Amino acid sequence: MKRKFTRREFLKVSAQGAAAAGLASLLDGFGLPSTRSAEASPAVQPFTFAYISDAHLYEEKLNKRFVRSIEKAVADVNALNPQPDFVLFGGDLAQLGQKGELDLGKKILEGVRAKRYMMVGEHDWYLDMGEHWRELFGPDTYSFDHKGVHCVVLNSVIVEDYWTAPKLTPMERMKAMAQLDNPNGRPFTVGEAQRDWLKKDLSKVPLDTPLIVFSHSPLYKYYKNWNFWTDDAEQFQAILARFPRVSVIHAHTHQLLTNRIGNIEFHGVLSTAWPWPYGPKGLPRFTKQQDRADPFDQFDGCGWGTVEVLANGGVNKNYNLWGRKPMKVTDEWLSTVNEASLPDPYEVGPHY
Amino acid sequence: MSRRIRGDPWKWLLFVLGGGFLAYICVCPESIPLPSTGVSAASDYPAKSPLGLIDPDIPQDNPMSAAKIELGKQLYFDKRLSVDNTVSCATCHDPKMGFAEHEKVSIGVQGKKGNRNAPTSLNAALYDLQFWDGRAPSLEEQAKGPIVNPVEMAMPSLDSHLVEKLKKVPEYQKTFGEVFKEGITADNVARAIAAYERTLLAGDSPFDRYFYGKEENAISPAAKRGLEVFREKGRCMTCHEILPSFALFTDNKFHNAGVGMDKPNPDLGRYLVTKEEKDTGAFKTSSLRNIAITAPYMHDGSEPTLESVVDLYDKGGIPNRYLDGGIRPLNLAEQEKKDLVEFMKTLTSPEVEKIGGPHPPQ
Amino acid sequence: MKIRYASVLLLILVAVGLVAFSLAAFGSPSGNVKSLGLIPCTEDVSSLAPGGRVFKVCDGETKVVIQVPDSENTGRMSKETAQEVADLLMQEWTKMKQMKAQDAPMVLAHKGEPHARRETRTWDMELDNAVKEGYRAFHDSSLGTNGISCDMCHPDAMDNHPQTYPKFQTQLKKVALLRDMINWCIENPLEGKKLADDDPKMKALETYILWANKGEALLPGKH
Repeated sequence: MKRKFTRREFLKVSAQGAAAAGLASLLDGFGLPSTRSAEASPAVQPFTFAYISDAHLYEEKLNKRFVRSIEKAVADVNALNPQPDFVLFGGDLAQLGQKGELDLGKKILEGVRAKRYMMVGEHDWYLDMGEHWRELFGPDTYSFDHKGVHCVVLNSVIVEDYWTAPKLTPMERMKAMAQLDNPNGRPFTVGEAQRDWLKKDLSKVPLDTPLIVFSHSPLYKYYKNWNFWTDDAEQFQAILARFPRVSVIHAHTHQLLTNRIGNIEFHGVLSTAWPWPYGPKGLPRFTKQQDRADPFDQFDGCGWGTVEVLANGGVNKNYNLWGRKPMKVTDEWLSTVNEASLPDPYEVGPHY
Repeated sequence: MSRRIRGDPWKWLLFVLGGGFLAYICVCPESIPLPSTGVSAASDYPAKSPLGLIDPDIPQDNPMSAAKIELGKQLYFDKRLSVDNTVSCATCHDPKMGFAEHEKVSIGVQGKKGNRNAPTSLNAALYDLQFWDGRAPSLEEQAKGPIVNPVEMAMPSLDSHLVEKLKKVPEYQKTFGEVFKEGITADNVARAIAAYERTLLAGDSPFDRYFYGKEENAISPAAKRGLEVFREKGRCMTCHEILPSFALFTDNKFHNAGVGMDKPNPDLGRYLVTKEEKDTGAFKTSSLRNIAITAPYMHDGSEPTLESVVDLYDKGGIPNRYLDGGIRPLNLAEQEKKDLVEFMKTLTSPEVEKIGGPHPPQ
Repeated sequence: MKIRYASVLLLILVAVGLVAFSLAAFGSPSGNVKSLGLIPCTEDVSSLAPGGRVFKVCDGETKVVIQVPDSENTGRMSKETAQEVADLLMQEWTKMKQMKAQDAPMVLAHKGEPHARRETRTWDMELDNAVKEGYRAFHDSSLGTNGISCDMCHPDAMDNHPQTYPKFQTQLKKVALLRDMINWCIENPLEGKKLADDDPKMKALETYILWANKGEALLPGKH
């Protein structure tokens, strides 16, 4: 005999449903981590993409060597066989954000055969607050899906306004941002607006989808004095915590750099223009350091690279250091190594 | 007699010393001090290396001796080491031409052409690695290469053909037997040739006398200016090393200056040995000693003159994907380029053709 | 005595209050506030040739002078700048008071006479100026011709290793001093003209590099 669904029962069930929904959204906000899945996400088709980054172009009449370097990277990427699915430019295309510099960079990058995705760096942005960059390349924050992976591109070089009050000229502002060791600088952030955008963007993404986040700043805290730092890193990481596989590919640091925090793996990319020393503190243990560069060789310590996205949604990161043997950080190693077993880089001696 | 010797202490001393010396030279033939045989101090052994150089490393298993050097020299000039008796080492490494030759690439038996320029044997003992691509770790290993190279001396093999051929020469049977316990073997052929090559040290050039000998007038004012360009604006010295105590004019490393990379099927150089992509088109930095007499230049002989080499570097080498990051346009003034060439002319040792002692006719 | 100190304290509080409660109108970026040091109260501040805006506090003997160089002389500063001025005034005042009060070990001058505080202050100020000069040169791309400045590869003078000179410098093929390598870098990565060994800019660069690596043990020859 069919029993009528009493009102009490209905209320009970609805309440449970509401509670579950409420709990789910609460968890969403708190970003409790879920267990990592080591199995292949059925939807991921393995693929490879390449990156070129941190070209820091001046106009050619002032500086030819930076032009030579980015052109070398373009030639190298074009020589890949098979071609990568796409090429990401990691930011700092220009050195001082000037129209001539950005136009030159765009022209050179148009020589890349594969599909291109652009990302912004502080050197591109702070002369005109990204006006010309957006004219040339479109939005600075966006996402796309590729072969089962959800990719997000951020503008993670947002800093607090410190130029309006003292009435800095645009070039003064740009030069202040361009000086890495500026003691009066402000830390990079993703910022609330983008964090909100990211939450919305990710709310449509199934939980078992591997994520790749492209960012200029590292999205963790390494060395604040050089803005190897993202001030709202913890909040950003919390948003991603419930995804089992997240890889951050970041620029700005001009060095081989590797980190792992919770479920997120962080890989820095090389610059084409010049390498930076490792910071005097904060270097993650996961980083296998590249040796100090020989300044006689304008390409030493510089280069480009590729990222292999694997069936399990993790990545192998390849560093193509010019004039040196390539270096590689595998997902297999990074996702399983015990951090405590790795030596403290400052005891071993940082390579600077 | 014994009473006389016993009675005369000086004669007794002489007897002991004479006997000792006889015993010594019979038991240890290789430790006899050698008589001087040539102009260069390098033929004395143990030698003091010429001004501006260092002593070559001597491997444990190939100590020097006068007899071995002489044997090596004989082999060096002996055309019978080639399959048809037309080519010896000295054919392409001719003392009259700075122990090199004026061909772009070497021509072996039956006019067969190789693809690389013959480097000079002078001071080759001072390189870490031999050949343009560094594939031979020693002079001994290098010596074996051309003998069996089909486009050079084309012997079908070392152990059977070369050794059997040399065994038929009674003089070699005798000399090899005197110098080497094992007699005629491929390794001993190489050892003898290497020993001779270790005497081919050519220093004491006008540059050496100016730079190390402190003789102010040893080189011209133009050459002095050229030395400054070499060390500074020209950026030459970083690869073509001059050190405060001696100058090999090489860093013993491999660099891609782009030579040949703009032609079809370029010679990939060091890459062929290491299979590392970074070594593509890279060749060993040549020593510049005696460079003025060893034209043409570069691994393929593509640069006919010192002036053309300077122009090549001045424009920044030949663009290619693997161009060494240390190479870049130099923007040298015309006078600077001339001075650079004048400087390089001062790197020639005096009487090069006499180095290594009197040479048998070719 | 007590009244004197009380009045001085009041003076400080007033100065701090005025500064701290100014609202932003004109201001300057953080870090632009600096101490010009200590001078006797009897001396005029103009002897320090400051630009912009100047704040001073005097204890009857010595005055602390703080400068806001890019600021107009009137109107409101930003809250941040005002706070910085207040903080720095307090900091310098406290330092001065401590110096005067304590039995600081005196570096003995020649002839057994202790150094006057004026002297030790002068040393610090002169060194500070010289280091700043070097900092400017280190961040100045006009040393070269291609827009590159030293700090681009060497932020905070990192990776200069001044404590390892003299050493055989690979690029120079000889034992070099710090200044030799500075010149090599000017000529090569920066594509500029080298400086004379005794050029004021060279001395300034050496000053800043050495100062920035303070505390490093001398290790000549270390690679």
